[in-house]
Amino acid sequence: MGETLTILGLESSCDDTAAAVVRQGAAGTEILSSVVLGQSDLHAAFGGVVPEIAARAHAEKLDIAVRRALETAGVTLARIDAIAVTAGPGLIGGVLAGVMLAKGIAAGAGLPLIGVNHLAAHALTPRLTHALPYPYLMLLVSGGHCQLLTVRGPEAFTRLGGTIDDAPGEAFDKVARLLGLPQPGGPAVEREAAAGCATRFALPRPLLDRPGCDLSFSGLKTAVLRQRDMLIAEQGGLTRQDRADLCAAFQAAVAEVLAEKTRRALAASAAPALAVAGGVAANAAIRAALERVAEDAGAAHVAPPLRLCTDNAAIVAYAGAELFRAGRHDGMDLAARPRWPLDSAQPALIGGGRKGAKA
Amino acid sequence: MLSGDRLIAARAEEMGRGQAERLLPMLEEMLVEAGVGWSDLDALGVGTGPGNFTGLRIAVAAARGLALSLGIPAIGVSGFDVIHAATLEPHVAVIPGPRGRLYARRPGEAADLVDTAEAEVQGLPLAGLPEPAALAEAVARLASARRGEDAPPPAPLYIRPPDAAPAREAPPVILDDA
Repeated sequence: MGETLTILGLESSCDDTAAAVVRQGAAGTEILSSVVLGQSDLHAAFGGVVPEIAARAHAEKLDIAVRRALETAGVTLARIDAIAVTAGPGLIGGVLAGVMLAKGIAAGAGLPLIGVNHLAAHALTPRLTHALPYPYLMLLVSGGHCQLLTVRGPEAFTRLGGTIDDAPGEAFDKVARLLGLPQPGGPAVEREAAAGCATRFALPRPLLDRPGCDLSFSGLKTAVLRQRDMLIAEQGGLTRQDRADLCAAFQAAVAEVLAEKTRRALAASAAPALAVAGGVAANAAIRAALERVAEDAGAAHVAPPLRLCTDNAAIVAYAGAELFRAGRHDGMDLAARPRWPLDSAQPALIGGGRKGAKA
Repeated sequence: MLSGDRLIAARAEEMGRGQAERLLPMLEEMLVEAGVGWSDLDALGVGTGPGNFTGLRIAVAAARGLALSLGIPAIGVSGFDVIHAATLEPHVAVIPGPRGRLYARRPGEAADLVDTAEAEVQGLPLAGLPEPAALAEAVARLASARRGEDAPPPAPLYIRPPDAAPAREAPPVILDDA
C-alpha cells in the first residue's frame, strides 16, 4: 500500500458543491472532512436542476467549500499530496468551475492534479467504506445514471447493462411532480409508498421480458401519468390513498426491475460481491430487494452509508488516491468532459451520435 | 503581468474554444519567460465581464483557486470599469452581448442588456473595450490600484438572471384537502 496519502477532493458535476479531505494508508481510509453545500433551494421553483443556476452557484461556492474542508480536517495545503477533481461526466458549467478551481489550487500549491470520472468515484465507494476487494458487481443507481458494472480496478470497468432512457432517480422526481409531491422525489415518493398498496394499480415492468441487463424507466413514468389522469377524469382529482397507492406501485415496479436485472448481471459477472451506490440506493424497499438478490446468489452485499451514496467529494478524493497510487496524473490542460463513459468498449446506451456516449 | 507600474508581459490568443485547457499553461509560460514563479505574485486581477458566461467562469474559478493556494487576493475587475477608467468624456460603456445586443452602463449607473438603438438614445458616445492583451493589462492595473480594498471575492458579472422558466405543470387536486 505504500505511504499514507492525504487527498483533497472537489465535486461540482450536478447540484451539490462539495469538497473533502481523505487520508488513505495501510491502516485504511479515513474521511477527515466532507463538506457538501446543496443547492435544492435555488432549483426548487423550477421543478428540476437548472444547469445555468447550478454553474453560477458552483463557481462562487466551491472555493468556500474547499476552505471549510481544509479547516475541518485541520490541515493546510502543505499537508495535501494531490488534488482530485470530478472532470466529468455531468453538467459542463459546474464541472468546468471545479476543474478550473482545482487547477488554480494545484498550480499555486505545486501539487499534482488528478481528474476523476464521477461515475468511477461512485463505483469505488465500497472500497472506501468497506475495503471491498476487486472484482465486484456495482449497481450505480442515481438521479442521472443507472448502470451495472463489473469493477476490476480504479480504471477497469465492464458495463453489463444500463438504462436506455431515464435514470430511476429522474423517474422518482417526475412521479413526485405528477402527484404534487415535493422535490427531491425519491424520499417523498418513498414516504407516500409506506402508506400505500402496491398491488391496486398494475404498472408495467419495462424490459423484464427481454434478455440481458438493460433497463428502461421512461414507460413506467408514463404509465403512472396515465393512471393518474384516469383517476382525475373519473373523480375530478386524487385522494390521498390514490396517491399513496400509485407511489407504492411505482416503487415496487422499480425495485422489481432493478432486482431482476441485478440478479442477471450478478450471474453473468460471477463477482463474489454486490455493491450499490447512488442516491436511489437510499430507498429502503430497493435496498431490501437488492439484499435478497445478493443473498440468493451467495454473494456479499455492500451498501455504503447514504451520505457517501449521494454526491460528495470524499468519494472523489478516494478515487483520486487509488489513481494516484496507479501513477495517474493530469496536466494543467485537463479538460472537463460532459460525457465520459466508464466502459468505452461498449456501444453507447444513450447519447450516441456526434458527441458520443454520455456515460 | 505587472511589476509595480511596469508591464512585464501581456498576451492574448484568439481561440473559439479550449480556453479551459489553455489558460493555466499560458500563464505558466508567461511566468517562466519572466523568470518568476507563482509564489512571487502579490495579487491577481481577473476580468469579470460581462461576457460569455462559460469564459468568465473559467477565469474566475482559476483565479479563486490560485488566490486560495497562494494566499493572495484575487480582485475582480469588470469590463465597464476598464472602459470608464480609459474614457474621460461622458459616455456609455458598451460590451457585446448575446444575439447582437449590448451590455451597457453609464458611469455610476446600473448595467443592462440593450439593443444598439437603446444604447444610443442617450446621445452619448459609445465606448468599448480595448483589444484583448490591452484589456488584460488594464485589468491588472485596476486590480493593482485596488489592492488593500475590502472587496468580495471575484464573481462573474451576469447582468441578467439565468434563463429558466418556473415549473409549468400544475399539481393534481387532492380531494381529501378540498
